[in-house]
Amino acid sequence: MNIYDIILKKIKEVRMETGDDEPVSNISASSMLTAEITLISSLLIGVLLLRHLNTTLMLVLIVLIFVMVFYAMPIMPRLKREQNDSLASMNFYVIIALGIIVTLFFWGRF
Amino acid sequence: MNLPNLLIPLMVIIPITCALFLNLLHEKSRTVKAISMVVAIAIPIIPLLANYGVQFFGGYPPLIQNPSIATGLPEIITNTALYSFHPAITYVFGSAQRLMVFILGMVALFVIFISLYEVKKPSGVYIYLILMGTASIFAMLLSDDIFNLYVFFEIAALAQVGIVLVSKVKGNYETALQYMIVGSIAAPMLLLGIALLLGVTGNVNISDIVFSIKTGLVDPHSPVLLMACALIIFGWLYGTGLPPFHTIKSAMYSKALPTGAAVLQAFSVFSLVALGVIIIRIFSYLPFAHVFIVAISLIAMVLGITMAITQTDFKRLIGYLAVGELGYIGIGLGLGTTLSITAGLFQAVNEAVITAFLFIGFGTIMYKTKETDMRKLGGMLLQTPKSALLVLLAGLALAGVPPFNAFQSKLMLVQSSLNAGFPEIAIIMVLLSIVTFMTFMRAFHTIYLRPKPAALEIKNEKIPNVTIIAMVIFLGICLVFGLYPQLATNMLQGLAISIS
Repeated sequence: MNIYDIILKKIKEVRMETGDDEPVSNISASSMLTAEITLISSLLIGVLLLRHLNTTLMLVLIVLIFVMVFYAMPIMPRLKREQNDSLASMNFYVIIALGIIVTLFFWGRF
Repeated sequence: MNLPNLLIPLMVIIPITCALFLNLLHEKSRTVKAISMVVAIAIPIIPLLANYGVQFFGGYPPLIQNPSIATGLPEIITNTALYSFHPAITYVFGSAQRLMVFILGMVALFVIFISLYEVKKPSGVYIYLILMGTASIFAMLLSDDIFNLYVFFEIAALAQVGIVLVSKVKGNYETALQYMIVGSIAAPMLLLGIALLLGVTGNVNISDIVFSIKTGLVDPHSPVLLMACALIIFGWLYGTGLPPFHTIKSAMYSKALPTGAAVLQAFSVFSLVALGVIIIRIFSYLPFAHVFIVAISLIAMVLGITMAITQTDFKRLIGYLAVGELGYIGIGLGLGTTLSITAGLFQAVNEAVITAFLFIGFGTIMYKTKETDMRKLGGMLLQTPKSALLVLLAGLALAGVPPFNAFQSKLMLVQSSLNAGFPEIAIIMVLLSIVTFMTFMRAFHTIYLRPKPAALEIKNEKIPNVTIIAMVIFLGICLVFGLYPQLATNMLQGLAISIS
C-alpha cells in the first residue's frame, strides 16, 4: 500500500468517525498529503533550530522524529481530528498550554 | 513638548460615543445609515490630522515635566522615582500608531459601508459592535497603561462575540459561547498577570514598569515577575488567536459575516501588535520570552497553514490562513532586532489589509450563492469576473508575490532571520508562503474555475459597487506599500528602535 492509499484510508476512517458522508475526492486526499508533507518538513527544519542549544539533542530529536513519523504516518488526519470545534477539546488544550507556559517561565527561571 | 492634543482621545471617544448612540437608533434605518457613514469616514481621517504627542487622562503629566506642581511636596516624592512616574492614564501617539490606527480605520470604514449597502435595513446594533471593537483596538494601540489596555481588551473580546452573534450564520451562537467560555479562562489569567506586575512594581504605567525593572527598583528575576510574564503571554495568545486558541479564532471568523470576519481579523492583528509590543518592552530582558514568542509563532504558522489546506469551507480556510499569517508577525517581534520588529509591524499592517480584502472578496460569493462550502461551488468566474480578478490579486498578495506589500514584509522577515543567525526560520517562512499560495489557488480554482455544479443556485443580484470600490482601494494600498515600502517602514521604525 503506497502513501496515497494509506492517507485515503485514514481520511475515510476519520470521516466515518465524524459522521461525514461526503465521498473522499482527489482534492481532499491530495490536500491531506500536501499538509502531511508540509507538517513533517516544517517539523524537521524547526528541530534544526535546537543546534543553538545543543547539537546532540538536535540529532537525537531528528532521529526520534524520523522514527515517530515512520510509525505514526499519516499524522494530518489525526491532527485534524484533534483540532475540532468541540469545547471539551479546546478547553483541554487551553489548560495544557497554560500549564506548560507557567511551568516553563516560573520553574524554568530563564 | 507634550502639548495636549485633543484629537488623540477623540480617536477613541468618537467611535464609542457614536456606537452607543447608534445602538439606541437601531430601528431608524436612514438615521443609522447617515451617522454610520459620517463616523466611518471620520475614523481614518482623525489619525491623519492629529499631531504626534502624549495625552494624559484623569491626572497630570509626571512631576519631572512640570516642576511647578512639585513645589512644596515632601522629599520622599521629589527625590525618588515617584518624581518621574506617570500619575495619569497616558496615551502615546507616534508615527507607528498613526499608520496602524489609519489602516484599522480604513478596514472599519469599508466594512461599515459594505454592511450598510449589502442589507436593506441597516442594523444599528451591528455598526455599534464594529465601532466599539474598533475604538477598543485604537485604545490598545495608544495606551501606555496596562490596566487601561486590559479594559479595552475585554471590550474588544465582547464586541467580537457580538459580531458573531448577530451574523445569523448557522452555528454562530455555539461558537460565540465557546469563545466566551475559553475567554473566561484566558482573560482572567491576563488580569492576574497584570495584578502581579502591579504588585511587584506598584505601577500600571508601562514606561514606569520598564523604568523600575531597568533601574533595579525591582528584582527582574523575581518569581512573581516571571509568573506575570507567563500569564500575560497566555492572555496574549487568547486575544490574538495563536495556538492553542487558533481553532476557536478561525471558527469565529467562519461564523461571522464576511464584513464581520474582515474586521475581526484586523482586531486580532492589532491586538497581537499592541500586547506583543508591551511584552517585548517589559520582558525583553528574559531571553526565554523571545524564544517562546518565536516558537509559538512557528507553531501558529505550521498549524494554521496545514489546517487551511484541509478545509472545505472557504471562510474557515481564510480564517486558518489568517492565523498562520499571524505567525509571521510574531516571529518579527520575537527575534527582537530593529529590522525584524519593523518587518513584523509592517507584516501586521499588510496582513490586516490583505485578509480584509480576501474576506470581502470571497464574501461576494456568499452574497451571490449563500454558500461557503467549496464542494458545492464552481463556475463563479462567469458570474463575478471583476471580483474574481480582485480576489486572485488578493491571494497573490497574501502569498507574498511581488509587487505586492506582503512580498516586501516577508522579504524583510527572511532577511532579519538570516541576519539573526536563524536560516531555518527563513526556510520555514518561504516554504509556508509557497504552501499558502497553493492553498489559495486550490480554493480559487474550486470556486471560480471549475464547472458550475448543477445544484448551485446563484442569486441574480449585482454585487454592490461599494464592495468593488473597497476591494480596488485595498488593492491600491497593497500596491503602494509593495512599490514604496519605505512609506510604511519609515513610520514603523521609530517604535521598533525604541523596543529592540
